Amino acid sequence: MPPNSRRLPRLLRTASFRLAALYALLFTISVLILGAVALWTIRGALDRQMTDRIAAEVATLRATYQAGGLDALVAAARTRGLGPVALDYAVDQPHGTRLAGVLPQLPTRSGWMTIAGGPRHEDSLVEPAESLRALVVDLPNGVRLAVGDDRSRIEEVQDTVQAAFGWVAALVATLGIGGGVLMSLGFLRRVDAITRTAEAIIAGDLTRRITLRGSGDDLDRLAVTLNHMLDRISALMESLRQVSNDIAHDLRTPLSRLSQGLNAARATAGSPAAYEQAIDRAIIESEGILETFGALLRIAQIEAGSRRAGFRALDFAEIVTTVVEALEPVAEDQQHVLRAELPPAGAGRPEGVGDRELLVQMLVNLIENALRHTPAGCIVVVSLVRINGAAELTVSDNGPGVPEAERAHILDRFYRGDGSRTTPGSGLGLSLVAAVAELHQTELHLEDASPGLRVRIRFPV
Amino acid sequence: MKILVIEDDAETAAYITGGLRQHGHVTDHAANGRDGLFLASSESYDALVIDRMLPGLDGLGIVRTLRATGQSTPVLVLTTLGGIDDRVEGLDAGGDDYLVKPFAFAELLARLNALARRPPLTQVVTALMVADLEMDLLKRTVRRAGARIELQPREFQLLEYLMRHADRVVTRTMLLEGVWDFHFDPKTNIVETHMSRLRAKLDRGGDAELIHTVRGAGYMMRAPE
Repeated sequence: MPPNSRRLPRLLRTASFRLAALYALLFTISVLILGAVALWTIRGALDRQMTDRIAAEVATLRATYQAGGLDALVAAARTRGLGPVALDYAVDQPHGTRLAGVLPQLPTRSGWMTIAGGPRHEDSLVEPAESLRALVVDLPNGVRLAVGDDRSRIEEVQDTVQAAFGWVAALVATLGIGGGVLMSLGFLRRVDAITRTAEAIIAGDLTRRITLRGSGDDLDRLAVTLNHMLDRISALMESLRQVSNDIAHDLRTPLSRLSQGLNAARATAGSPAAYEQAIDRAIIESEGILETFGALLRIAQIEAGSRRAGFRALDFAEIVTTVVEALEPVAEDQQHVLRAELPPAGAGRPEGVGDRELLVQMLVNLIENALRHTPAGCIVVVSLVRINGAAELTVSDNGPGVPEAERAHILDRFYRGDGSRTTPGSGLGLSLVAAVAELHQTELHLEDASPGLRVRIRFPV
Repeated sequence: MKILVIEDDAETAAYITGGLRQHGHVTDHAANGRDGLFLASSESYDALVIDRMLPGLDGLGIVRTLRATGQSTPVLVLTTLGGIDDRVEGLDAGGDDYLVKPFAFAELLARLNALARRPPLTQVVTALMVADLEMDLLKRTVRRAGARIELQPREFQLLEYLMRHADRVVTRTMLLEGVWDFHFDPKTNIVETHMSRLRAKLDRGGDAELIHTVRGAGYMMRAPE
């Protein structure tokens, strides 16, 4: 099917076209109602004006008759009947003899009436009117006076007004439908652009984004939001891809070591003792793999954020005391000094909400990290302060520190700094720290403690 | 002990029941939740090992149903790897202890022993004694052969845990959970370090060793023979 013939029905189905058509219909109906009301009002006013004029004329002529008699009345009717906008008159004697005037034969009753047929102007080329509005009165001595006016003038005005409103209604309908078509075309074009982008992304081109018109209208705002969503999705996809790669890489090594070890034992071990040794090695290896898996799952669960529902009021000082007390002898055995610096007990102690279990693990990981990556004799200080009502936890050491370029990466999963390739560890400890910090909506900063590394975690108020 | 194992994975079930039988226990096995609940409520057991994820009826559902009917048999809930919310949910449902899969058999055995011989809650213990070691839980004092031993609060807790579980194996993770309330595996040897300090304080005069290391499992507090 050629695109143009398909385009029209689609156009008619667009929301903007339907809206425009509805508006056009409503406007047209409004114009028609307005016309009817105007017509009715104008007609009423003209009718009233005509009857008033006739009544006034009858009164004048009645006075003329009373003052000057029949002759004066006849003369007045004749003179007043001349001229293009004059009224039409009739003065009849008793028994119907016409004395003056051009009105057709009068009926026998008197009062307001509509007389069929027009006035008979002998000298006029004007087409006689189809009906007349007339007032017939009986004057003394059997004289009958009638004053009438042609209704065609009113009808002319009526026709003109009707025609005018008809044109306006037609114009409104045309503009409405035409505007609707134009609007819908514009809308369709932009929706099509969004659809094409979405289709390109479905087809695999994740870098595509919706082009903006820069007008800041609602469609543009929608496009901006959609683009942000796409950015976020690609970032997540990228991190997922990264994690899968990391997992593949970091688990492949120990898994192949495990497999090689078992194969070697199968091929070469000759004694039960050698088998036992190989099995022990395999157990250690597989425990390491399971541990890495466990850590990854734990991080993923923390990142999913479901733990937030279980947040409770926290005593940060208690957490620091518990953890430092647990690790202090460990530090001492490694010839390190581990120290806690707490604000004095009382009102100055920071409070907050969070997951105690995860925060304990976070702090343990931070301290263990500091102990592992600093040479003997170093001092690790855990300090807790209250800044503007918020808790700030810092773990700092006076070891060699982390180079500026590496600092951004040490929170990544499986990242091992060049200096720590040989020390034991899964490379997930600080990733867990980052996940817990993120869960608690804290600001996590890695700073140069010159010398050493300072990890500063600021909790929200 | 007579122990019911409700576990749908045949290999895991065989691993658990085989190991328990080897250690002289009598076991029953149910492969789905419904059969498990039926056995648990119709037979009498010393302890139940219930997997969290089961076909038919969820493991926690079994525990809830048993508790609702007034059954107080100790329950050890097995949970999956990395499930950090599982422990709280398991304990909330009425489980007495939990263990994350995969686990060492020694760990399961130690926990089951600890559970099955748990004293009734109504019994208030004010003093503990192992050989010549005495602990006064009210005054918070420890004496060995009458001589006072000064302990840090955490060392006192560690010793109390060991004495309460005297003659039974306690594992490293049991101590981390019971003494420090740490529900994860630290990379450093926190337990070992504290244990060696406690030992040094208890055995300072060359007295007979009370805290024994059980290879591949954990520690045991035991009077010398």
